[in-house]
Amino acid sequence: MSEQTKTYQRFNIAQRIEHFVLILSFTLLALTGLPQKFFFSDISQAIIAAFGGIESIRIVHRVAATVFCLQAIYHLVVMGYKLYVLRVEPSMLPGIKDAQDAIQWFLFNIGLRKERPKMPRYNFMEKMEYWAMVWGLVIMALTGFMLWNPIATSRVLPGVVIPAAKAAHGAEAILAVLAIILWHFYNVHIKHWNWSMIKGTLSREEMEEEHALELEQIERGALPPRPAPEVIRKRMRIYVPIASVVGLALTAGVIYFITFEQTSITTIPRPEEASQVIVLRSPTPLPTVLPTETPQPQPTTEAAPTGALTWEGSIGKIMVARCGSCHGSLGGLNLKNYADAMRGGKSGAAILPGDAQGSLLVQTVQGGKHPGKFTDDELQKVIEWIQSGAPEK
Amino acid sequence: MKPFAKPWMALLLAGFLLVTLSSVAHAVSLSQESLPGNEVCLACHQTPGQILTLDNGEQLYVTILPEEYGKSVHAKNGVACAMCHSDMFGYPHPAKDLSSLRAYRKQYQNTCKVCHADKYELDSVHRRAFESGNELAPTCIDCHNPHTQAQVKDEQGNLIPEELGKSPEVCSQCHFGIYQEYSQSVHGKAAREGNPDVPVCITCHGLHVIEDPTTTQFRLASPKMCGECHSNPEIMNKYGLSTDVYNTYVADFHGSTVTLFERISPDQQTNKAVCYDCHGVHNIGDVDDPMVGLGMKQNMLKACQKCHPDATENFPDSWMSHYRPDREKFPLVYYVNLFYKIFIPLVLGGMAVFVASDIFYRVRRALSRRKPAQPVQPAAEPPQTPEPSEAAQETGKEE
Repeated sequence: MSEQTKTYQRFNIAQRIEHFVLILSFTLLALTGLPQKFFFSDISQAIIAAFGGIESIRIVHRVAATVFCLQAIYHLVVMGYKLYVLRVEPSMLPGIKDAQDAIQWFLFNIGLRKERPKMPRYNFMEKMEYWAMVWGLVIMALTGFMLWNPIATSRVLPGVVIPAAKAAHGAEAILAVLAIILWHFYNVHIKHWNWSMIKGTLSREEMEEEHALELEQIERGALPPRPAPEVIRKRMRIYVPIASVVGLALTAGVIYFITFEQTSITTIPRPEEASQVIVLRSPTPLPTVLPTETPQPQPTTEAAPTGALTWEGSIGKIMVARCGSCHGSLGGLNLKNYADAMRGGKSGAAILPGDAQGSLLVQTVQGGKHPGKFTDDELQKVIEWIQSGAPEK
Repeated sequence: MKPFAKPWMALLLAGFLLVTLSSVAHAVSLSQESLPGNEVCLACHQTPGQILTLDNGEQLYVTILPEEYGKSVHAKNGVACAMCHSDMFGYPHPAKDLSSLRAYRKQYQNTCKVCHADKYELDSVHRRAFESGNELAPTCIDCHNPHTQAQVKDEQGNLIPEELGKSPEVCSQCHFGIYQEYSQSVHGKAAREGNPDVPVCITCHGLHVIEDPTTTQFRLASPKMCGECHSNPEIMNKYGLSTDVYNTYVADFHGSTVTLFERISPDQQTNKAVCYDCHGVHNIGDVDDPMVGLGMKQNMLKACQKCHPDATENFPDSWMSHYRPDREKFPLVYYVNLFYKIFIPLVLGGMAVFVASDIFYRVRRALSRRKPAQPVQPAAEPPQTPEPSEAAQETGKEE
């Protein structure tokens, strides 16, 4: 194996699985979270619909968030193991050297420095990403808890922290996703494909470029040795109980938090059910003029016309005034002119000359049920006129 | 003022106007035939106080006072009695079903079709109720007394504000409980004073096309309906009301959820609040109203507790009361936003600078590798060797 093809172990299988789970939960969180923030865009609505609607996408988001938190607890336990039991160098802690590395790296890139800085196991780019992740996790977990449990939160904090948490949760999400795309994707996928999270190793060339200091240590054999097994066993006797208690407590805490409160009732508020929809208003009383049994058509003249007892003399005027408004326009009997009046209507002749009591006209009017009526004086004249042969002139 | 709360109302009225105008012509042509004139009917029917007692004891008022009828839109358009009462010629009048008021009125159910056929095409809760045999479902004449129905639009075709203001009385005949709530509401009080800006029943529920307000669709679309007026500066500015209430509602949890339900699954119900869940349906009060106004913290808490029974005193503040956060209102939210407005570009900008420098380096290296004969590179290198020892190591490694 030549110098150039030699590979250097970087991440063990557990770390790679951890990273893979992180990819899943982070991606799922972004995929289910960002559409909620930018819900007005078509693509967000398509994603939300693909997840089965807003309520189900929220559930997926919360499941992913739970996985994310549990993973953080796992990471914490592993860190404790490495730092306390194995006493490895805390190579993720940032220091002044990282700031110097960053400046030198930049100067080298733009040609103002001849060589790259020699960077340790975790260089400034990785530390930046790691601590950005930690920062993001803390912010997202805290604000996420507040949004998940707004009633519990507002019991101890002012209500305004809920919308503030929402603002921070959304903005931090944008920052995290954009940082992953810009920083992580560029550095491990675009500038060259970094296989270390899949194969677990880096090439010598990659080690030289990004971890020259570590490479030197490896080659000098200067890495601190793994503690002796009995030392590890001794430390484990202390660490395992502590880690178990802390890990379980944190896990219980997460589970407690995600099932903490029932924020709202699940039934649909239906305030309109409270009031009855149909309530009949008691009808407006009808106008209280006493009903007249048989209304009188309005006569044009009050006094019966005086004149000869013929149609033209007086009877025609009486007929037109008293009867004409109906009998003359409704069809049937027409009492507006002599000829029609004598012809009669649908029930035959209304006037039988010389037989007033046999005439339908007199019978109807005297029957009392006809709405139109003559005055007594008028009726007398009509009877006399019929009796006298009902002459026209 | 906004003459029509909904564009289709304008359309409906335009249609109504057309039909009315054509029917006037129709009426004139009919009356010129041998129809009995109104004076024939009025000869008897103008006598005051004529009441026909029906078989079930109900009373039918059969007096038509010429001066009252004369004010109606039908009289103004020359509609003769005989046009609607086309089977009433002759006396005694032909037999009618007089078993009850309802039975009597139902006989005129299709009478209006002669002139207003378009209205018979429309679908509404009332029509559906009628068709399902509901004896309380109104027919045309239950809302529009044909003898007194006033003209409801002016020459320009706009609804006359006074008539609009009176319209809830019509609905109150059957929906009296709701009417009483409404008439005490901030909208109802103003409507009674003839204020044309406030919604009356038909503004929200529609005119002739009355949707079932208990459906999921109606509920999900309801915020938009409120938003139509409450986002309109022409109306809101008069009363110093915010035009931002709809936008701020949609921007928040309840509103976003309801909007998404409406867009994605309009047939699925959501328990998230719509406008009327907090503000009330028909009894909407002024926000300063000590009894129901949501400007009062206790009222607000009560409103929250309808859906969040465990909510305590601080909880209502988690809803920003339709405000956009600024230095005075909800400053914490404002400063969080401000922080990220600075923090995000700062972080990403810093990253971008490094990424850009790396791209710059790689492009330059690729170019120099492609042209190995260039003497410029080696010539430029020797002068800048600030740290000889490290430089030697570096070159040694790279070769």
